[in-house]
Amino acid sequence: MNPTQACIRVHNWVLNVDDRRHRGGHGRSPSALLSGNQVLGMAKSNTTDAKALIRSLRSAYAATPISLKIIDLYVVYAITTAVIQVVYMGIVGSFPFNSFLSGVLSCVGTAVLAVCLRIQVNKENKEFKDLPPERAFADFVLCNLVLHLVIMNFLG
Amino acid sequence: MAASSETKGEGTLRKAFGGVLGFFILLLIGAFAFSIRLFSVIKYESVIHEFDPYFNYRVTQFLTKNGIYDFWNWFDDRTWYPLGRVIGGTVYPGLTLTAGSIWWLLNNLNIPLSVETVCVFTAPIFSANASWATYLLTKEVKGTGAGLTAAALLAMVPSYISRSVAGSYDNEAVAIFALIFTFYLYIKTLNTGSLFYATLNALSYFYMVCSWGGYTFIINLIPMHVLLCIVTGRYSPRLYIAYAPLVVLGTLLASLVPVVGFNAVMTSEHFASFLVFIIIHVVALVYYIKGILSPKMFKVAVTLVVTIGIAVCCAVLAILIALVASSPTKGWSGRSLSLLDPTYASKYIPIIASVSEHQPPTWPSYFMDINVLAFLVPAGIVACFLPLSDASSFMVLYITTSVYFSGVMVRLMLVLAPAACIMSGIALSEAFDVFTRSIKLQLPKLFESPSGSGDIDSTQDEVVKVDNKSATDKSETAPKERPSKKNRKKEREIVETTIKKPLNAKRLLVLPLEASSVAILLLIIFGAFYVVHCVWAAAEAYSAPSIVLTSHSHDGLHVFDDFREAYAWLRHNTDVDDKVASWWDYGYQTTAMANRTVIVDNNTWNNTHIATVGTAMSSPEKPAWEIFNSLDVKYVLVVFGGLVGYPSDDINKFLWMVRIGGGVFPHIREPDYLRDGQYRIDAHATPTMLNCLMYKLSYYRFVETDGKGFDRVRRTEIGKKHFKLTHFEEVFTTHHWMVRIYKLKSPKNRIRGKSKKSKSNSKTGPSNSKRHSNLRKNPW
Repeated sequence: MNPTQACIRVHNWVLNVDDRRHRGGHGRSPSALLSGNQVLGMAKSNTTDAKALIRSLRSAYAATPISLKIIDLYVVYAITTAVIQVVYMGIVGSFPFNSFLSGVLSCVGTAVLAVCLRIQVNKENKEFKDLPPERAFADFVLCNLVLHLVIMNFLG
Repeated sequence: MAASSETKGEGTLRKAFGGVLGFFILLLIGAFAFSIRLFSVIKYESVIHEFDPYFNYRVTQFLTKNGIYDFWNWFDDRTWYPLGRVIGGTVYPGLTLTAGSIWWLLNNLNIPLSVETVCVFTAPIFSANASWATYLLTKEVKGTGAGLTAAALLAMVPSYISRSVAGSYDNEAVAIFALIFTFYLYIKTLNTGSLFYATLNALSYFYMVCSWGGYTFIINLIPMHVLLCIVTGRYSPRLYIAYAPLVVLGTLLASLVPVVGFNAVMTSEHFASFLVFIIIHVVALVYYIKGILSPKMFKVAVTLVVTIGIAVCCAVLAILIALVASSPTKGWSGRSLSLLDPTYASKYIPIIASVSEHQPPTWPSYFMDINVLAFLVPAGIVACFLPLSDASSFMVLYITTSVYFSGVMVRLMLVLAPAACIMSGIALSEAFDVFTRSIKLQLPKLFESPSGSGDIDSTQDEVVKVDNKSATDKSETAPKERPSKKNRKKEREIVETTIKKPLNAKRLLVLPLEASSVAILLLIIFGAFYVVHCVWAAAEAYSAPSIVLTSHSHDGLHVFDDFREAYAWLRHNTDVDDKVASWWDYGYQTTAMANRTVIVDNNTWNNTHIATVGTAMSSPEKPAWEIFNSLDVKYVLVVFGGLVGYPSDDINKFLWMVRIGGGVFPHIREPDYLRDGQYRIDAHATPTMLNCLMYKLSYYRFVETDGKGFDRVRRTEIGKKHFKLTHFEEVFTTHHWMVRIYKLKSPKNRIRGKSKKSKSNSKTGPSNSKRHSNLRKNPW
């Protein structure tokens, strides 16, 4: 089974749709070699698809309310900090391993908690429409307090 | 208007009445769970049982005397001489900290209970807590009625009683409570999606990690359940909130416990949680993008991402597999491997295989330990599927995995017990649902009186008004005072809230009146058998303290208190710094009760040290003396049951000593001790057996008891009857000859010989060669 056929199987699982449309010239004759034109056409369609995708993602994301965007920015900041710490550990070595662990896990932890807050505060989530946002924020603060208490203890 | 408010008032009154009744029932369940475990205190005395609890007791004593900082940094030099043991780093502190804080609290309230009393009664208190936690967990899964039934079943289930009687001061006493409570908080978070409960869940998981090594069960079961939910299409934001903070906070909290430390991120037992953490993030991202994009664009995104994603995934997976495969055990610890592969321990780790608790259970032990629940569990599993919710899928997963693990080790029947109780509680309450509903609906037809039917109609109508869950509602908050009140235990089914029925009007099952009344009667009898069995098991089978033995003879009850007699002798007749050598079973008791330094104890962390002691016990007198002398041992303790018929003595355990010793020192070979593959100590035993230290120390002067040396356990006369000990001298034998203590004789000052000068030259020769030959034979 070539990779494209594997992709299509996963594709169908995600969408629950019996989709038989392929990209470019694949699938019609799996064992036939692709001509140069066909490969070029496939690459071009892929890049145009990618551009269209990015454009639609951007436009859809621009529609989200600004409070959620702030939370997303915080998540991105936390993850970046975690990545920086991992790179630093790669350079310097992991000697006080507990410090490294607590640093990375605190970043990952606040990112996860911020995502949970975003889920609870998002007005489009039908499951949480009864939850007042103040309660969600209070839970977020409490969980962060516990997380940072543990981090301070583990930091060494 | 007045009528509806009146019916509403009656409805709330009924609910309030149900609530109060439920509260009192729970209180009674707690009191029952506490009191059923007190048989050993009543029959014997308030004493700590078995072996492991003595270690926990000693640690708790140290904690209460010296405070928590000294306890955290404690290095114990009274055990595993000359290696010592880092207690702070190798013990699960949950149990000792719990008992220590209870003692401290009571003492500050001026209730002066001793540490021993607190230790003895910790287990019953926490079993009451565990039944309340079971009520909460089952209430989240199915409803209040099932909750009360499951709590009542857990209070009595013999498998849990066996590890939590008053006096069994072991990790499982608090760990099972922590397990059930953690699962309850996880299900509560899953059902409500509240971050507050997620925090509490992480803290409860921390308590579980502090208490027991079985916490790996939780950190593997919950990811399995999350994966199951994702694969069956039940992903929801609540699942993310329930799982992701638990992983991060849980890993951090687990690393805080010194026993676990960095194992929380480096051993394979935790990798499942990280893997599912990544998977749930991927799934969450997919759902998010699917939500904000149009379907056409989403398909494009999927195609692009999947092509790149699969390549990256394969690379990462290859790296991971290479890392994991480089370690010989694939990163799993020995104990976990012996659970996954039941034959692992017998092949590679004889110490784990030798513990009787680690053997697979027999079929009768299932019936003994969970009795009637074994029949109710399948019904409960079916009930969980109607309807299937996140919580009930978790319960099905829990019971399946715990049944598998209980089949590997008898000890893990304990993890099966709560799952079996919850399933049976669900099954029983559903069954009672159907039967009482059938009776209630058909009873008016039996009575046929106009006023009677009028009353019943009004109650039925009011029930319909109060619970507006489904159209054809004939639900069960209606009074159940009509079914027979023979067994007060079954009144718990009265306070049932509505089971979550599907909103489409389903035809409810109604059975014929006679069949359902007979069925209710049979269920009550069924339950009565269960109660009788549990009380019998608690009283007769699981209440033996095993440090005091009793037997019933024609002239009454005979008490064998030999163990404590021996430890007391050691405590009063030896120096504080004397070292005592015995087989590892008795190490904890010796350090706790006799307060002497031991060579090996029940922690069994150093196989070579144990093999050294095993080799010494299997060698002839002189090499054994040399081994013990090199370890500074002064006294040797053996347990011998031949006079009274006590079957767990050292001669019966001797083959394990040979095997473990032979695993490290190859000059000890097991076939040397067996005659034609049979283990015997009579006249046909091998000379190696008849000359080894264990034989000699057990049977020294045994022939003086009855003239023939008849061993009541092995049921033969012993082989070598009249012999003297050259390197050991007997210093104490207890009343029933069960514990025998020997002292190492100091080496002679002078060696007898004709002339000193000529002998001194020739002495060094042969003694040197003898020493060399000894070196060649064994490393001492």
